[in-house]
Amino acid sequence: MARRLIVRLGLGLIAVLGVIVVTFFLEYVVPGDPARALAPRARDRATIEQIQKELHLDDPLVVQFGAFVDRLAHGDLGTSYIRGESVSSLLWSRLPTTAILAFAGVVVEVLLGTVLGTLAAMNRRVSAFVTSFNLVFLAIPAFTLGLGLLLIFGFWMGLVPVTGGFGPRELILPALSLGLMGAPWYAQIVRDQMSDSLSSAYTRTAVAKGVSDRRILLRHSARNVASPVLTMIGMDLGLYLSGVVVVETVFGWPGIGQLAVNSLQQLDRPVVMGTVIVGAVAVIAFNLVADLLRMVVDPRARTEEGA
Amino acid sequence: MSDAALEARNVYVRYGGLPAVVDADLRVERGEVVALIGETGSGKSSLAFAVARLLPPGTYATGSIEIGGREIVGLVPSQMRALRGASIGYIAQDSMAALNPTTRVGWQIAEAFRIHENVGRRQSWARTVDALRRVRIAQPAEVARLYPHQLSGGMRQRVMIAMALALLPALVVADEPTTALDVSTQAEILELVMSLRTETGAGILWITHDMGVVAELADRVAVMYGGRIVEQGTAEQVFDAPLHPYSDALLKTLRDLRRGAPGSAMFQIEGQPPSLSQTISGCAFHPRCPHADERCVVEDPPVEASETRRVACHHPLVVAAVP
Repeated sequence: MARRLIVRLGLGLIAVLGVIVVTFFLEYVVPGDPARALAPRARDRATIEQIQKELHLDDPLVVQFGAFVDRLAHGDLGTSYIRGESVSSLLWSRLPTTAILAFAGVVVEVLLGTVLGTLAAMNRRVSAFVTSFNLVFLAIPAFTLGLGLLLIFGFWMGLVPVTGGFGPRELILPALSLGLMGAPWYAQIVRDQMSDSLSSAYTRTAVAKGVSDRRILLRHSARNVASPVLTMIGMDLGLYLSGVVVVETVFGWPGIGQLAVNSLQQLDRPVVMGTVIVGAVAVIAFNLVADLLRMVVDPRARTEEGA
Repeated sequence: MSDAALEARNVYVRYGGLPAVVDADLRVERGEVVALIGETGSGKSSLAFAVARLLPPGTYATGSIEIGGREIVGLVPSQMRALRGASIGYIAQDSMAALNPTTRVGWQIAEAFRIHENVGRRQSWARTVDALRRVRIAQPAEVARLYPHQLSGGMRQRVMIAMALALLPALVVADEPTTALDVSTQAEILELVMSLRTETGAGILWITHDMGVVAELADRVAVMYGGRIVEQGTAEQVFDAPLHPYSDALLKTLRDLRRGAPGSAMFQIEGQPPSLSQTISGCAFHPRCPHADERCVVEDPPVEASETRRVACHHPLVVAAVP
């Protein structure tokens, strides 16, 4: 168990390092000069060269990378070209915002998906409805769904603000969008797992023991369904924490996704690197947490061969 | 009203209009093992599931089924729940699939005490350990804390038996519980069941197609074919002098298996058992029966019954023994 944890942490670290290397060098493939982006109106070469010198953009790529890794090893993510702020303080200011949205989105999708999937496993008509629900919300693009929700609940019904920003009322629609787009996956897997579980031999044993339907669902099937759902929650939390770009943009939610997109457009390399590192760490960390939780609910996952 | 573990009369089971069990009469006394034998599709599982009311959703049995003197046909689900586990125990065939993989085996046994006797955590656990000790598990307290996949097949089946007998039910329905086990484990389980039925006084309805198991275990035997019970009697009666040609054929296949006769010399019953959708006129066995005549083709043989013996055949093999 401890050995497995160490192996997983080691693999995770290697993955993060890989992401860092690839992203760093990809940034230089993107055409454009950050110095020119910083001073778009500067006509003379001297100003541009001055900026390049200050940002060490004129150093060889390998030297720049070495300097970056050296700073990173000391916990310093560098300073934003554009905003002059340190990258870590930028990320820290955005991370809670994104975390709230990610968490709210996961809560909505898990609740919606689990309820729909469970009802579908028990009732054929609900199952047909869930199939159509899944098709619709899997097919609809994020921006269409987001704008549609804004139109209906914001402009027509006036229930939520349409101007964007950070706040409980502003959270409703982006969380609902994430939830509606994620729910089909949960509904699908819960329906499959639940109907397997309800028609299983161990459910028959429980029935023969005199266990009520409700208790079978809550005490016998739930645990067996929980394992794949936990895996998906871990993947989603990691993914959403790395920034839900489209949803954050549509609803003007000031999170990491927005920061990442803006920084990419402005060629603000240190900030892009920062958001990528946060994303990679989040994805790997939450997958690991999900795996550990899976071992709690499913004893078979605890054995080495179940890994 | 009878004091028998099971008293089933005129039981019919239909799957969407297709008859799986036709007019079955079956009695299991307390402390008695009755083997229900027949090929796949003979209706033995349908009859057993009807008795335990474990038929698939939407399928119902008609007739009369009394468990420990209590009629269960027509009971509403909540009444049936109160009887399940408490008056009817069930032992499944594949203990790996029949135990919940995510919970400790002890918890699964303790649940029976919790839901039926409303006892607390500590007390239900103590009784669980007792239940495991009863099935001769050496370290019951330790085993109770294990998960199904951590146990051997034989141990898991012991756990199933402990669960089925936990509340000392009048009747235990055992669905081929030894089929998935190796021969020596099978022998241990059979021995255990033999001693438990005297200790607990439970009547056991043992479904099997293994005549070897029947010979070792059963007090009485009921042979099913095409949804009907074609012959019933004590184990000695049926083994020594089968009345129905089908029972005779089953026994011949067993004898050849025991003798280890080479493939071609082995006795085989010609033809296939009838499927559910096939309607066979007269006696269901007539297309495969060496003794069949025109009467068998047209006329369904009535059940000839005495206190200890029943047969449904126009040409019983030992005429003198026919009731």
